[in-house]
Amino acid sequence: MTTKLLAQAVGLATIFACTTVAPAWAQSITIAIGSEPSTLDPQLRDDGGERQVNDNIYETLMARTPTGELVPGLAAAVPTQVDATTWQFKLREGVKFHNGEPFNADAVVASVTRVIDPANNSEQMAYYGTIKGAEKVDDLTVNLVTNGPDPILPSRLYWMKMIAPGYSKDGDLAGAPVGTGPYKFESWNRGTDLTLVANSDYWRGEPEIDGVTYRFVTEPGTRLSGLLSGEFDVITNLLPEFTESVPKFAAVRSLETSVFVLGTDNEVTKDPKVRQALNLAIDRQSMVESLFMGYASVAKGSHINPAAVGFNEKLEPYPYDIEKAKALIKEAGAEGKPLVVVGESGRWLKDREQIEAVAGYWAETGLQVTTDIQEFSQYLESLMGDGPRPDSIFIANSNELLDADREMSFIYHKDGAAASNSDAEMAAMIEAARTETDAAKRKSIYDQIQQKGHELSYTVPLFNLQDIYGLSERMEWQPRVDAKMIVSEMKVAE
Amino acid sequence: MLQFILRRLFQGVLVVFGVSATVFVVTRLAGDPVSLMLPLSATEAQRIAFAQQIGLDQPIAAQFMRFLGDIVTLDFGNSLWQRRPAIDVVFERLPNTMLLIAAGLGSAVILSIPLGAIAALRPGGLVDRLTMSIGLLGLAMPQFWIGLIAILIFAVQLKWLPTSGMGTVAHIVLPALTLSLTPLARFTMMVRAAMIDELNKQYVKTARAKGLGLPRILRVHTLRNILVPFLSISGWELISTLSGYTVVVETVFAWPGLGLTAVQAIQRGDLFLMQAIVFVIAILIVIIGIVLDILSKAVDPRIELN
Repeated sequence: MTTKLLAQAVGLATIFACTTVAPAWAQSITIAIGSEPSTLDPQLRDDGGERQVNDNIYETLMARTPTGELVPGLAAAVPTQVDATTWQFKLREGVKFHNGEPFNADAVVASVTRVIDPANNSEQMAYYGTIKGAEKVDDLTVNLVTNGPDPILPSRLYWMKMIAPGYSKDGDLAGAPVGTGPYKFESWNRGTDLTLVANSDYWRGEPEIDGVTYRFVTEPGTRLSGLLSGEFDVITNLLPEFTESVPKFAAVRSLETSVFVLGTDNEVTKDPKVRQALNLAIDRQSMVESLFMGYASVAKGSHINPAAVGFNEKLEPYPYDIEKAKALIKEAGAEGKPLVVVGESGRWLKDREQIEAVAGYWAETGLQVTTDIQEFSQYLESLMGDGPRPDSIFIANSNELLDADREMSFIYHKDGAAASNSDAEMAAMIEAARTETDAAKRKSIYDQIQQKGHELSYTVPLFNLQDIYGLSERMEWQPRVDAKMIVSEMKVAE
Repeated sequence: MLQFILRRLFQGVLVVFGVSATVFVVTRLAGDPVSLMLPLSATEAQRIAFAQQIGLDQPIAAQFMRFLGDIVTLDFGNSLWQRRPAIDVVFERLPNTMLLIAAGLGSAVILSIPLGAIAALRPGGLVDRLTMSIGLLGLAMPQFWIGLIAILIFAVQLKWLPTSGMGTVAHIVLPALTLSLTPLARFTMMVRAAMIDELNKQYVKTARAKGLGLPRILRVHTLRNILVPFLSISGWELISTLSGYTVVVETVFAWPGLGLTAVQAIQRGDLFLMQAIVFVIAILIVIIGIVLDILSKAVDPRIELN
């Protein structure tokens, strides 16, 4: 009997000993993210999990404030233009990589050269396609050369992480990264967790939080449980309906805007009256409240991100006017005609719910609406393939560079992968803006494009979505509009 | 015996080949991995370059020949998602899954025999009714739900155990428990039914009439007789666990095993990793089948290995 009791006691003690999280340092936090980094090489993949970690290890020439304003990062100042295709960057002095290598012009040249090298076939080339190369001027001055005039170049360099030239040759970039950032890589247990420690030599000063452990938890319910049980301090992608059950949360406008792209050459949707009716038939505000519990805002008449350069702030959201929508459908002679709504499920926040609610509104106008929720790869084929354009297709479009060119080229330009129009005039305007280096002129072209797209209802913009983070009681953090989780901006209450 | 093993191995090779060929075809029918892998904003030129790099621009027959060569050398190419050899990812995650199965299925086997036996000795008694109710629940509730409820009770409310992840002994308790519930229910019911059946047979009555005690009858005769059906049902459960239950349980508990990795590979269109995972699981299932047949023969020599 005693041995049995003893065995039980030992068993229980083991369990308790194992569950107590031993604090290795005074202030370390645990962040649960949805997907593990595929690699820690900062230049190969376009991978959210990789960025969430590497954004704290590496830095870029340009940076953004939490509200999205572009400011110098590792550059000493905003770049100056030498000529239409050459930008000159002055670099910060005295910055060192975690392995002691100095950050200088050679590091910039090595970083640019590596990421654009066709042999590396980097997925990030979607962001750097215009960059031709980098040339060292002196130790702390670099010229970046583009293939043609590229006004977005500074924004592009907000994306490009700077690697240590020596380490990139003989080090393990994929498994043990070395950057200039506020946190240093410590360990990575594949599949389970990854730990960073504060860089005491950081050029802006040592960060407040001494260490951060990332845990990879795919299932949102499990992330939530971990926050409730006190294992996690920050969790990503909290669902709006759980904001009331967590100790603390923080919401911020995200990079994503949900929108339907309409086929302007399709049987029914080629009539601008029908397209306008589709825009007027949706009660967006009530969807914000019922679907998102208020954590989303109605898109202001365009699918361009409001934080992006080139956003037309003069447009108003489409009003909700079902009677007018019905009248327009009648006028267009489209009553009872078929409209197919294509979408996917489970990729973006409340995607299926948005698609089905909108299809419901559209059915009220008198159109014969069918919804086609497709498996994701089939959906991608519908969105970007060579086949016929759908009448309407849903997308939650993300704008990482916060420049209007992204959404314009992708959805408005007739050759854009997700575009469903054949407007050559609009395409010409987008191309003109893309190379227009005068900021005011460029902005005015973008304003015109959005005005036109709004009037002709090429798209049905829905919502500017929000990122919601669940936080533990002790965390203090205001999340950023660019969705980066910068640990040096977080605080732990004593 | 040797002849039997050789024949089963040959059959196994055919099975693994068939499964692999099916996966090869299905992964190529199920959408374009290039558009799943690359960001939405990738240009056409990038898509073409990427397809070339991973060999998807080749004719399907050439791809299949390359795939067959890969199988023989156990080289499935680089995982598109992790950019390292797919087989390395599989061998890194496989032990975690094995550990979870050993803990989950092991406890189901160990618990089910006494539970089923006690229930069978007093059909309709308290233990019997309790076991049957729990068993029914175990069979009726989806593991996904059991897992989340277990987390809520034992991790969030009681704070006895961690919610997810791997690392200490405590981390394995909840996932193993969740994994064990369905097999435990099935085993217990099977043991109970087989025991009731056996206990009504003439040899038991004879043995009792001779004055043998019940424990001895159970140990020497009855349990041995139900071991063969028990082996085959546990083999079946092992295969179901390996190829199905672990997918759900590992996802809920963020357990870094092969099941979770399979889900992630599918989501990311990582066809090379999918091929490697399915190949390794198919081989394991073939091996399990052979081992079970040999074990059955060892337990009951009357069984013909044909």
